[in-house]
Amino acid sequence: MTAVGSPMSGARAADLLERELSAAVRRREAGFGEETVWVGREDLVAACTLLRDHQDAAYTTPVFVTAVDWPDREPAQPRFDVVYMLRSLQYNDTCRLIVQVTEDDPSVPSLERVFAGMDWHERECFDLLGINFTGHHDLKRILLPTDWDGHPLRKDYASFGEPIAFTHNLEWALPAQERPRDMPGASR
Amino acid sequence: MTTLPPPGAPTADLDPLSEQYEASRERLGIERGLDSIDLVEIGDSTMELNMGPMHPSTHGVLRLVLDLDGEVVRECRPDIGYLHTGFEKDFERHTYWQCIPYTDRMDYLAPLFNNLGFSLAVERLLGIEVPPRGQYLRVIMCELTRLASHLLWYGTGGLDLGATSAFMYAWRDREKLLDINELVSGVRMHTSFIRVGGLMADVPDEFYGLVGEVIKTFPKLIDEHELLLTRNPIFRQRTIGLGTLNAEDAMAYGATGPVLRGSGVAYDLRKAAPYSSYDHFDFDVPIGRTGDVYDRYLVRMQEMRESLKIIQQAFANLPGGPVNTSDRRVALPPRNELNTSMESLIYHFKLVTEGMRVPAGQVYQAVESPRGELGFYLVSDGSTRPYRCKVRAPSFSNLSALPYMVRGELIADVVAVIGSIDITLGDVDR
Amino acid sequence: MGLSNELSVTSPASGRIVFADADAGTIALPRTGAAERTAVQSGIVTTTFGKLIQWGRYSSLWPALFGLACCAIEMMSSTASRYDMSRFGAEVFRASPRQADLMIVAGRVSQKMAPVLRHIYDQMPEPKWVISMGACASSGGMFNNYAIVQGVDKVVPVDIYIPGCPPRPEGLIDAVMKLQKKIAGELPGSLLG
Repeated sequence: MTAVGSPMSGARAADLLERELSAAVRRREAGFGEETVWVGREDLVAACTLLRDHQDAAYTTPVFVTAVDWPDREPAQPRFDVVYMLRSLQYNDTCRLIVQVTEDDPSVPSLERVFAGMDWHERECFDLLGINFTGHHDLKRILLPTDWDGHPLRKDYASFGEPIAFTHNLEWALPAQERPRDMPGASR
Repeated sequence: MTTLPPPGAPTADLDPLSEQYEASRERLGIERGLDSIDLVEIGDSTMELNMGPMHPSTHGVLRLVLDLDGEVVRECRPDIGYLHTGFEKDFERHTYWQCIPYTDRMDYLAPLFNNLGFSLAVERLLGIEVPPRGQYLRVIMCELTRLASHLLWYGTGGLDLGATSAFMYAWRDREKLLDINELVSGVRMHTSFIRVGGLMADVPDEFYGLVGEVIKTFPKLIDEHELLLTRNPIFRQRTIGLGTLNAEDAMAYGATGPVLRGSGVAYDLRKAAPYSSYDHFDFDVPIGRTGDVYDRYLVRMQEMRESLKIIQQAFANLPGGPVNTSDRRVALPPRNELNTSMESLIYHFKLVTEGMRVPAGQVYQAVESPRGELGFYLVSDGSTRPYRCKVRAPSFSNLSALPYMVRGELIADVVAVIGSIDITLGDVDR
Repeated sequence: MGLSNELSVTSPASGRIVFADADAGTIALPRTGAAERTAVQSGIVTTTFGKLIQWGRYSSLWPALFGLACCAIEMMSSTASRYDMSRFGAEVFRASPRQADLMIVAGRVSQKMAPVLRHIYDQMPEPKWVISMGACASSGGMFNNYAIVQGVDKVVPVDIYIPGCPPRPEGLIDAVMKLQKKIAGELPGSLLG
């Protein structure tokens, strides 16, 4: 079977959150053998601490944190889906939490003190997507140079190297010094 | 006979060549001169040393800024990103078929696992199943890749600690595995052999001979490699008790793979969440006790033997049949049909130019790569390109535990610890 | 319509190699011995002493370790047991650029790594040569995006380009042999005053 079934489903975490912290659960959905819980930003730390410490859950391992950018959803729905995945080695389960944040205030509380491994994952999410993790001890870029402008994985960031030199745009094959001065990127 | 200066007298203005100077140094407690390791402490400040990004032993372009107190590392700050390639942005611009060669280049020491993870994620969204022969061949090729990756780790790890013969032996054996790669796909390293829906193609006849050779000869070769290092007193002195990571901290950092298993946690995705028929095979998951460098070494050496066991079982029970799914949304039609059937031609055309359409949804698929849990979080919006494909890289999380592991160790041991984590910078930086 | 010779990056007339600098536009840097080199484009080394010096230089090229990504693995393979590159004199991979004369840029160069690459190139003493190994180093390869420098020749001057992703170890050895031929045809330049 290609589908893995229950070890990735997250039903245990979703049930626990609905039982103990039902105010935090905004939405719960299942699909492709996995369950996802949408939580509010202000309840995130409490929810993760509960998942980590509760004896029935023991989600002690952070898998990753990232964000998905849906720019066309604004203003009806927030733009970013900040996705957290946590794993419980004891009960062999992996759960997914999503926090939605808007473009004007893309900030989420940091989980650095809850899971030691979230430190670098949050820095990477900030670096590539611009999500601000409040309370992080040193939120700076990790993969790109520190003076880089912009957040590349956002949908409005155009990733561009250089055009491929065909015969119709042969000027690109010339050394930079000899290109026509009015070409875009001619100074490179 | 010279008179000694009174105790406590300043020696700064004495001529260093005079006898009085020698004698006064004795009074300060420096018994053996400048060779003594009991130097007077100069002060509290640490020295900041930059290691990398160009360094022979950092296994790629990793930069470490070490705060040294003499030779002892007080703090280690890794600086990564020197190999950031923007894979995740490239995934969003290419169709699913075109993404497969990109996945090869992420963890470039075990390329087939990247292919496998991505393909499994897409197959889950599509809801298709790979035929048994395809699954078994995937298992065989992946375990061969695990062997190759562990051999590379062994060779480079040994080379870092000074065992050049280990490097030569390991790479000689690795070449045999790369020969198999070349036979089935034409390329030694980035084969892109595992694709959505199955494999690139069925394996040729010589494959059976080569894999049979591997199964026959490799156990003894691994014994040879163990002979070089496992009981070697120099190796043991350099690795036992070093870079210890206990189980709770390993879990808190998100470490997976041999780093986690070396710390005593028996978690292997092939057992915990089996994919691609791994539950058909009987193999053990080796774990360590203390989580030091030597334990991780032993775990990986044993994992090589377990991989051979899996390859043997899969090879012995290899079923016949097709290797690719017959689902026409994904698989190209057989070429002889293109001459007679219009629909096949249209399918072929749409699949090649537009790509396959994947239903909207999100899925997380993880595989057990030689470095740990390699996961693909795939979000699809129903089109022919991934909307967002986040790669959960094992080396990224394993490396975040490095500052914890080297605090208090000597700088010469930092190299051994990095080698034991077995990072691939392509994986870390993506 | 074919590509004419005017499109090559090395312009023989002036003997200078022109390359782009990301910040300041273009810099034309004269290379040591460039004038002498242009005079012998046809590949004739005149003096016996010059031949001897060049033989010494190409027979024991010391590469600086500059393995970045996947091509580095094939570079290591080419020094390992099967494709033994020490047969060609390039066995001693120096960790310090100050002791090296050949830089094999093996792998993709990211934007963060490019200044480091230039720094290491500058630290190498003359005479020095650069081999750009693989598609990513030669032209950016399959990564036509924000993060990868589209060709290492935007940062350092390159002598030999090797296509492939990754090139086979035999490809790298072929490049080293071609470089040896190229060095044999050059004049020692500064050593002769």
